[in-house]
Amino acid sequence: MRTLLILIPALPLAAALLTGLLGKRFLREKSHWPTILAIGVSFLLSLSLFLEVRRYSEAADVAGWEHVETLWSWMDIDDAYQFEGESRNFAIDVTLRADALTSVMLVMVTFISMLVAIYSAGYMKHDPGYSRFFALIALFVFSMTMLVSVSNFVLLYVFWEAVGACSYLLIGFWFQKKSAAAAGMKAFLVNRVGDFGFALALFFIWTVYGSLNFHDTDVHGTPVVVTAAASTETETQGVLGRSRLEQGDYDGYIGGGIGLTICLLLMLGACGKSAQFPLHVWLPDAMEGPTPVSALIHAATMVTAGVYMIARCTPLFAASAADPYLLDVGAEVIAIHGPLVVATIGAFTALLAGLIALTQNDLKRVLAYSTISQLGYMFLALGTGSLAGIVFGMFHLFTHAFFKALLFLGSGSVMHAMGHVIDMTKFGGLRKLLPWTHWTFLIGCLALAGVVPFAGFFSKDAILVEVALAGEADSATGRWYAVLYWSAIVTAALTAFYTFRAYFMTFFGPLRVPHEAGKHAHESPGTMTGPLAILAVFATMVGFTLIGSFGGFLEKTPSLAYLNRHTSASDEADPLAAQATKEHHYQVHTEVAMLSTLLALSGIGLAAFLYLGERREVQWFARLPVIRWFYHLSYGKFFFDQIYMVLVIWPVRFLAWLSYLLDRWLVDGLVNLCAAAALQLGAILRTLQTGALPFYAFLMMLMLLVLLISAFWTNLV
Amino acid sequence: MPPLTELTLLHLVPEIVLMLTATAIYVVGAFGAAQQGWSWMAQCGIALAAYALYFQASIFDDGLTGPLVIDHLAFFIRSLALGVAALLVLLTARAARDRQGPETTGSVLLVMAGVMLSASAADLVLLFLSLELISIPTYVLLYISRRDASGQESAVKYFFLSILSSAVLLYGLSFLYGVGGSTYLGEIRAALVTASETAAVPGAISLAHVALVLIVGGLAFKIAAVPFHFYAADVYQGTTHANAGLLAVAPKIAGVVVLVRIVVAAMPGNEEFAWKLLLVMSMVTMTLGNVVALWQNNIRRMLAYSSIAHAGYLLIGLAVGLASTDQPIGYDGLAATMLYLSVYALATIGAFSALSCLGKYGPADGQLDALSGLTRSQPIIALAMAVFMFSLAGLPPLAGFWGKLTLLGGALDVYLTPGDADLRRWFLALAIVGAINAAIAAGYYLRVIAVMYFRPAKSEPPLLSSYGAYAAMLVCALGVIAIGIYPGPLVGHSAQATESVRENLELKSTKDVERSP
Repeated sequence: MRTLLILIPALPLAAALLTGLLGKRFLREKSHWPTILAIGVSFLLSLSLFLEVRRYSEAADVAGWEHVETLWSWMDIDDAYQFEGESRNFAIDVTLRADALTSVMLVMVTFISMLVAIYSAGYMKHDPGYSRFFALIALFVFSMTMLVSVSNFVLLYVFWEAVGACSYLLIGFWFQKKSAAAAGMKAFLVNRVGDFGFALALFFIWTVYGSLNFHDTDVHGTPVVVTAAASTETETQGVLGRSRLEQGDYDGYIGGGIGLTICLLLMLGACGKSAQFPLHVWLPDAMEGPTPVSALIHAATMVTAGVYMIARCTPLFAASAADPYLLDVGAEVIAIHGPLVVATIGAFTALLAGLIALTQNDLKRVLAYSTISQLGYMFLALGTGSLAGIVFGMFHLFTHAFFKALLFLGSGSVMHAMGHVIDMTKFGGLRKLLPWTHWTFLIGCLALAGVVPFAGFFSKDAILVEVALAGEADSATGRWYAVLYWSAIVTAALTAFYTFRAYFMTFFGPLRVPHEAGKHAHESPGTMTGPLAILAVFATMVGFTLIGSFGGFLEKTPSLAYLNRHTSASDEADPLAAQATKEHHYQVHTEVAMLSTLLALSGIGLAAFLYLGERREVQWFARLPVIRWFYHLSYGKFFFDQIYMVLVIWPVRFLAWLSYLLDRWLVDGLVNLCAAAALQLGAILRTLQTGALPFYAFLMMLMLLVLLISAFWTNLV
Repeated sequence: MPPLTELTLLHLVPEIVLMLTATAIYVVGAFGAAQQGWSWMAQCGIALAAYALYFQASIFDDGLTGPLVIDHLAFFIRSLALGVAALLVLLTARAARDRQGPETTGSVLLVMAGVMLSASAADLVLLFLSLELISIPTYVLLYISRRDASGQESAVKYFFLSILSSAVLLYGLSFLYGVGGSTYLGEIRAALVTASETAAVPGAISLAHVALVLIVGGLAFKIAAVPFHFYAADVYQGTTHANAGLLAVAPKIAGVVVLVRIVVAAMPGNEEFAWKLLLVMSMVTMTLGNVVALWQNNIRRMLAYSSIAHAGYLLIGLAVGLASTDQPIGYDGLAATMLYLSVYALATIGAFSALSCLGKYGPADGQLDALSGLTRSQPIIALAMAVFMFSLAGLPPLAGFWGKLTLLGGALDVYLTPGDADLRRWFLALAIVGAINAAIAAGYYLRVIAVMYFRPAKSEPPLLSSYGAYAAMLVCALGVIAIGIYPGPLVGHSAQATESVRENLELKSTKDVERSP
């Protein structure tokens, strides 16, 4: 298992180094081979790791199963923290972990990456930066696999930054294009805001919990895993370690104001990486990167890092939910807790992105907003705070990876054929021209819209069920969840509509091809359609095949199993009923399923009504003043970019200008003044150096006399 | 004074070996037997002396014997002096092949023997003699190694001013004898302790102040501190690179160690006045050295002012040691001075060796412009020179950084320790002046680097002319880098050297060599 854990990230790293160093000179048009091979083997290794983990997990009890490997100790500072007599060591071990959550992420990441890498071999052909592209892809896969398998918050942060850096490099891959370079910068800077929150969260966690490791360690620094024998003594408690998870009634974790603060800061980090409101603005612009990058990073893998991180920190959020922060607003007391905030942000983002996606004309932008919207669903699911909610949030992440990669690669195939034009108003009726792309894209759309029996239906439906259940509770929180439920339902309808709007605009109507495509626009090569076909099969299958077993497997992750082990007080009173609700969670909820299917079909129907045929209805529709007003709002993306420009960028620019002036005139002036003063002093003093021996002797004696007088003077005083 | 015995003689074996070697070189050289071997012979003598030093350090405890004090400070300085001797012999290896070879090499050995002797002398007479043992061969060296007008001018200037300062020192020593009633430092210390405790001898303290001023003045010449610094610029400029290196290092080591022995250790009750004197001298010295160095176009002259500035830095540690008598901070200050002395010696000899590689006094008699574009013709020399300049400027991670850090840290420690507000203010001012000076100094050190690296070569590239100097340069560069990266051992030794300088002079010390069987 140690070998597996090391090799999975190591192979892409080796490929990245190899391609990066030798690519341009030696590999040239063969640059894709190291990357594809490395990721392919990584995928097979991930698969065997997954099987291994499943074998152990099935045997494990309710505590779950984990395995931690220490590679080396990065730093170990004794007594780094001393406060009121307590002193702690600051140690960062480079540790890799294997558990259900990690293994699922690894399989998903490597599988999608492998397909995208194969697809890129066709898509990126003849690009001057061919080897650079594959080196970066391999580096990204290394960072992402490390991100999901490290067992320490600092390392998580390191690779969190590393995927951010890879993303920056890949968005700005065509850096000669000004818009691409600017988009890369925007993505990086917006992410920095989130990272700042994440870093603060780490400081809080370190201060509150005294460790940044996920796992416990014994006196020798060896990891103590949850299934370890009872004789293994814990020396340092990890944040998600055995000793903490075993304490009942959320005793191991901190709720209240501090707990909420940690949750909010972690959520801020997740908002940056996973493009949630208010930090969602970077993702649509990130579509400036090559389309495979959009598919890999901005749909399937990197943006899920935030979801992964929140899921990983489940116990922290659960503790916040158990002991909410009570906000006193005069008339009543509102209980705010971490999951509630996560759910609210998720639902709001989902709705907002859905509304924006309605009117976009850029095919990739529609997909980008749909990604934001679907990520919102995932956070909504995580925000229910129940085990089933989190598990289904992760399941949606899993299925979404397949169909969103499929859609992006499909749009890439369209772009490839249309000579890199992606504006849907410039082409149409492509279903005959691009048959493979058309059919696979249709499957992707059906999955995204949540139509039975495609993958998206099952995961989205499960999330809606969980939110509905959370909304049944008769409390202020419960009513709020009910509001979120209806917002999610509306979003589901919007999703179906904008997805099929894009589909009909692209593939139906009279055949129109932009002149950039040249005379013979044609279907993409096999290296591109092959991955599309494979992804289409998976987008169809993963929903109903895995919905039953996914949750049972994932809940063996120790930090998720925590929710199972420590049922709330009411559940403990009636364990049978609690068990019953849990069983219930894994089943299709008929009402919700009916409702969502109905909404999906009506959304598709509306899209068909408006965008099939002559599109006269749309023109009539667009003349309505309310719709016009709304159209501008949506088309302008609710003007977030402009709002940020005024609220953030202008003040910062002004400060920068002010600082520049201060530095230029005040600071530099002072420095120059000092230098001039030193020089002038030297000019005066050097006149003493006449070169005449008697003068020197005279001065020496004179000064000696001064010193002697001063000696007597001190005696007299 | 403890009685003089054969043990005393045994302790002097390293110095005796050096002097015997020097004598042998003089005598054999007079007959012109060998043309090449002087340097090798001298190195053998140094190795032998080093062996004797380490051998006796391993078998004898610290203590007093005859006019000698045997302690860690003496051991530290004598080791340093032997290392410097080896480097200087390498540096003068080319001169040793000229007609004056035997005299040059022998004189270097004698100078360094004088430095070693001054480190362990505990008697005013022996101290004065050891300082003269440094001065007299230096006159010879200055005279023989450069026969043109400027060489003669510098020799004469040094000769007269040195004699003047010796006279001042001797005058001061006689006052000290008057106050203490003895030429032995231990007894002087005992007498002054009594005087300050009982005030039995009225006027003794004020006379001690006069002695202090005169002694510090005389020794200020050795370390080139204001107001006895005038000779440095003219003499360095007028002589060879090798001589300038010797002048910048050897007397400075002796001056500092004698200051520690007399002013810090043997004159209790005068600390109040002494630290003020040294502090003011320190501030004036480093400021003057640095601001005037900014104007120099001759590199030897520039390094002369730099050596004046460093004398100012060395005084910081002594002032700290005097201001916080018998406190750990005070000893840390003294230790910082010892550390600084070592790293300064290494970088300075290195710089003069690098220059020496390009000829006896350089392609254009030390004009800075002659180094233009050196990085293209002599990249290794340019790189080594850059290392020395950075170290002298005190940039991490080179040795000079640790020197400045510990010195300024010592001054700040005095400020941070609760105590007399006046004293704390003075030392805060000292630390600030020191830091500002470090910034000023960077100006002219970096200029050397700028000339070597960023200016096109003006004349034809200078040739490598001395392999000895080249070797010395490499050794110094490696040393500067090694100490910079791993300063621990040197810091430890310097701390050990100064931790009990005062107690070592106590006559009743149980450490007395004579009392152990």
